Amino acid sequence: MGSGGLWWRVAWRNLWRNSHRTWVTASGLAFGFFAAVVMVGLTDGMTAELVENGTRLMLGQVQVHASDYLPERNMHRTIGAYDGVDVDALLERIENHPEVEHAAPRLFGGGLLSSGEQTKAGLLLGLDPDRESRVTTLLSTVIAGRLPESGAAEVLIGEEMARQLAVDVGDELVVVAPAADGSMGNDLYTVAGLFRTGTPGVDANYAVLQLSDLQSLMAMDPGRIHEVVATVSNSRETPRIAGSLAGSLREHPVSLDVKSWTELRPELSEAVALMDSMNFVIVLIIFAMAIFGVANTMLIGSFERRREFAVVQALGTTSGAVSLTVICEGIILGILSLTVGALVTWPVMVWWHNTPPDLSSWFEGFEWSGAQWRPILRVEYSLDAPLISAVALLFTTVFAALYPAWKATRVPPADALADR
Amino acid sequence: MSEIAVRTDDVWKIYPQEPFPVEAVRGLTLTIESGDFVAMAGPSGSGKTTVLNLLGGLTDATRGRIWIGDRELTGMSGKERARLRLERIGFVFQAYNLLPVLTALENAEFTLLLRGVPAAERHAKVLELFHEIGLEGLADRHPGKLSGGQQQRVAVARAVVGDPALVLADEPTANLDSGTSASLLDTMERLNREHGTTFVFSTHDPRVMERARRLITLVDGRIEADDRRAPARA
Ligand SMILES: Nc1ncnc2c1ncn2[C@@H]1O[C@H](COP(=O)(O)OP(=O)(O)OP(=O)(O)O)[C@@H](O)[C@H]1O
Ligand SMILES: [Mg+2]
Repeated sequence: MGSGGLWWRVAWRNLWRNSHRTWVTASGLAFGFFAAVVMVGLTDGMTAELVENGTRLMLGQVQVHASDYLPERNMHRTIGAYDGVDVDALLERIENHPEVEHAAPRLFGGGLLSSGEQTKAGLLLGLDPDRESRVTTLLSTVIAGRLPESGAAEVLIGEEMARQLAVDVGDELVVVAPAADGSMGNDLYTVAGLFRTGTPGVDANYAVLQLSDLQSLMAMDPGRIHEVVATVSNSRETPRIAGSLAGSLREHPVSLDVKSWTELRPELSEAVALMDSMNFVIVLIIFAMAIFGVANTMLIGSFERRREFAVVQALGTTSGAVSLTVICEGIILGILSLTVGALVTWPVMVWWHNTPPDLSSWFEGFEWSGAQWRPILRVEYSLDAPLISAVALLFTTVFAALYPAWKATRVPPADALADR
Repeated sequence: MSEIAVRTDDVWKIYPQEPFPVEAVRGLTLTIESGDFVAMAGPSGSGKTTVLNLLGGLTDATRGRIWIGDRELTGMSGKERARLRLERIGFVFQAYNLLPVLTALENAEFTLLLRGVPAAERHAKVLELFHEIGLEGLADRHPGKLSGGQQQRVAVARAVVGDPALVLADEPTANLDSGTSASLLDTMERLNREHGTTFVFSTHDPRVMERARRLITLVDGRIEADDRRAPARA
């Protein structure tokens, strides 16, 4: 062993000279680590909830349109323009991307819905219910009746729209909508079911039809859709995946535009960035507080040993090496605290993540930022939070050791030896 | 003519203090030959500790120059001084000052470790020295489990193990009873005789002074008397 090993050995043994002090300090740091990981986990949980709430109902994570469709959403600018596309082939192609999970086609229209004396403007959404169910949760919010069936001229409407139109499941509705050929399409539909998403704008304004039904109402061929909505395997990575998907669709004969939810809902993505920076602040505050406590403890410890520092200097140790022992102590303390912290934090996080405390008995769900929130204290764990916290913890102990280390060499050896 | 271990030229140490600065050492000019066995006596406050600290580079001279062998200590950087101490100077203190977290062996081999001497060589050297000075079987004890005399012998072993040109000992026997003092001096004398190590030690004890081959008496930071004589044998 060289003299490097000596300092580690001395530092290690010095830590155990006052084992109470070491354990108290290590526990404090371990708790700091725990708190940081849990707090970050909670905000990550909220972020994930926020993103899911904002995307899972209707938005999806990735949307594909004709490149000129957004932002006007002009009805004629379907994918492949007037010729349309081979929808199944396009969906297959999109789903073939390794990071895309599911894809579903959509067609949008606007029109008037009326029943008896009641008439209401509404948004018409034509979709493939099987596919749509794999991509968004919209169709799972049905509270009465069932989904519209293919070729049956059925419609699914929001609960609030049904109330305003005074219709119920089984009643008939007239839908009038401008069609692609300039005419006004109109047809009679049966209300197959009602949905309640909890989001008033959706519940009052949306009417869902089979894709083929809306195509024929709007005088469009079966190859004409406005949008393909898709889910990805890792929602946090959506912008990258969207880029990669766009790359893989570049040779598609029809010009396509791929957008991730972060572009479609920039305010949501800003909220996520805000939460992420909050994580940083949390970790910063926790460990900034810890620095002073640890520095104080180490300062006391090194003050008690100033005579020993003087002795080793008299024996030929440089002041740099004396500082090094104090820093070694800090590093060992950090590793010890980290080990304790990880051993406590890991099972708690796994348990919490798998069985998040459900506060439904105390709070109802609430609506915020246009989405329905579940009263669940969810934690997410990524490798980031523990990694960042671990780095912060080690940094804390090393940083906390710097001042005591510097202090240890400030005392002239002659004075320390004379206890001056 | 023998080699020079230490030389000082008009060394002053003045502590800036209110209301009057303390002149702890006043114009010390001194030459100590290699292999000598020197005691430094004088009343309390006469400057013995300060002189030893100056010679070891643990405190800076206010004025004057100091050489250890052929190397000038005054004007060296802290790092150079540490190196010089490591290679040429051993220290023994009144309060033993062993590192409590290290065993007797680890304490004694400390400077060898700093010099990067391989473990086998270190251990052999320390154990041989322990055998020589009556510390056999105590290598693995921590200082807390050793008597004062034993601790001080470990400290002497630590000071001489690296074959320094000079060992500085500030009242090494002050905490020991007279029997233990005498045997520690035997040890030091023997190391002096057999290894040629130069010893400079301060003391208040007339029986310790008697054992020196040269006795320097300080009063008020000046050399009052400097006697070379044949030491009395214990
Ligand atoms: N750091 C310091 N600051 C101020 N004065 C000091 C300092 N160190 C020593 N002195 C003074 O210098 C003088 C010499 O002190 P020193 O410790 O060298 O004496 P000494 O001969 O070793 O005494 P003793 O026999 O009591 O150990 C004393 O007057 C002491 O008070
Ligand atoms: Mg003294």
